[in-house]
Amino acid sequence: MIHRLLAAMFFVFAFSGMANAEPFKWGGPIGSQTSDGYNALGPVVQQPIEFPHYRHARDMGINCMYCHTGARRGYVSVIPRIDKCIGCHQSIESVRNKPRIKKLFWYWDHKEPIPWKKVNDLPDYVRFNHERHIQRFYFRQNRPVREVCGYCHGDVANMTVDRRVKALSMGWCISCHEKDHRENDVSMKTSHGPYECWQCHK
Amino acid sequence: MSITNLLNNWSFYRQKRPFRGQYDLNKQYSEYKWAMALDLDICTGCNACTTACYAENNLPVVGKERYQHGYAMHWIRIERYWDENMGEFPESGTSFLPMMCQQCEEAPCETVCPVGATNHTNDGLNSQNYHRCIGSRYCSVNCPYKVRYFNFWNYPSTAWPSPLQDQLNPDLTVRTKGVMEKCTFCVQRLNEAKSRARTEYRLVKDGEVVPACVQACPTNAITFGNIVDPKSKVAKMWKNQQVDLYKDEQEKDSSMRGYRILEDLRPFPSVMYMERVRDMEA
Repeated sequence: MIHRLLAAMFFVFAFSGMANAEPFKWGGPIGSQTSDGYNALGPVVQQPIEFPHYRHARDMGINCMYCHTGARRGYVSVIPRIDKCIGCHQSIESVRNKPRIKKLFWYWDHKEPIPWKKVNDLPDYVRFNHERHIQRFYFRQNRPVREVCGYCHGDVANMTVDRRVKALSMGWCISCHEKDHRENDVSMKTSHGPYECWQCHK
Repeated sequence: MSITNLLNNWSFYRQKRPFRGQYDLNKQYSEYKWAMALDLDICTGCNACTTACYAENNLPVVGKERYQHGYAMHWIRIERYWDENMGEFPESGTSFLPMMCQQCEEAPCETVCPVGATNHTNDGLNSQNYHRCIGSRYCSVNCPYKVRYFNFWNYPSTAWPSPLQDQLNPDLTVRTKGVMEKCTFCVQRLNEAKSRARTEYRLVKDGEVVPACVQACPTNAITFGNIVDPKSKVAKMWKNQQVDLYKDEQEKDSSMRGYRILEDLRPFPSVMYMERVRDMEA
């Protein structure tokens, strides 16, 4: 009897808080919850063009960094400018009449930037360096690019519009920084990520 | 810090700091130890460093009234002193002393923080984590240099009326009410330089990165660098002045100008000042 009462109370408390919260789903992929159980998938983002990542990254096998050029050079990975899209698509006649491509060319003809929205958005007080992660795991350890980006971004190559799949919380970052990673693909020497507050918090 | 890390490096963490050899390239404890040397003979007290710091570190301008109450948020300030017995021209006895966080090795502020918002980094910096700070102000009370500044008001809402918010530095948080802050040796620049250096498989070169105050100083009175590297300019200056980071009482020639402020309190500061020399007979 007491168990049922407790269970009932648990559901009352658990779901009463949900009424005001952001879209909240129990479960989700592994690593998508923060330590306090918050589902970090975030709100569904409506992008101006439903960009098919699977077409580009999976079907065509394009390297993520062909478009996200900042990832190996600096703090932000960069959402590409429209001329990057047009650079290829002006010579791909076969898809020219697809609705998404028409929309792309509408922005191009009207000389307007595409108002993409940020999906993997960190708080303002966090400094995340894409360059160090890409240099370390992609260039030094020679791991496949979809794996390296996927540590934080999930399997984007099988998504249409990008969705946040990892918690991007501090405990989740630290869980990886704690691990001993090999320094490059030939040596067995390992080191872990930095722990200092000031490395990430600004 | 994980438990494994703590256990593996137990002998390192239980050491009393600073211990001799802590900042030694051969010992591999730390690759960097940021330090400064400040020549008061060259300093003209022009306040360019303070202005540069305001611009770089998103410091709010508090206004005349609050300034008079001592609420100014200058992370680096020019202290003004008057030498006595200057005879006919007392105004010629002014001397200036730029005072910023000394990044003490054994910092008095760190031990008293109830929430661990301020602690020591591997680079020998005294870090301040604004989002952990609860504003007890104990650190400020315990700081012998009085270089910690508290946000008594919600400055972000008043200090930068539109469109001034566009000039804020995005590499740095804009601190809100109830948070302690202090000079960081422009850690955002240091971090960027360190990342760049790591990508290129090297250490940060001497002079590659400087804080805003050093960059702005028109007379080059401030020297900044990595004291672990014995070839860096700042390490040479410390050595020439016979100032030792690990000592609380320097044994040096009386002709040497170098000193550290309030050394006898044993905070082991990272900033060396060089005394002003006056020619009294001229």
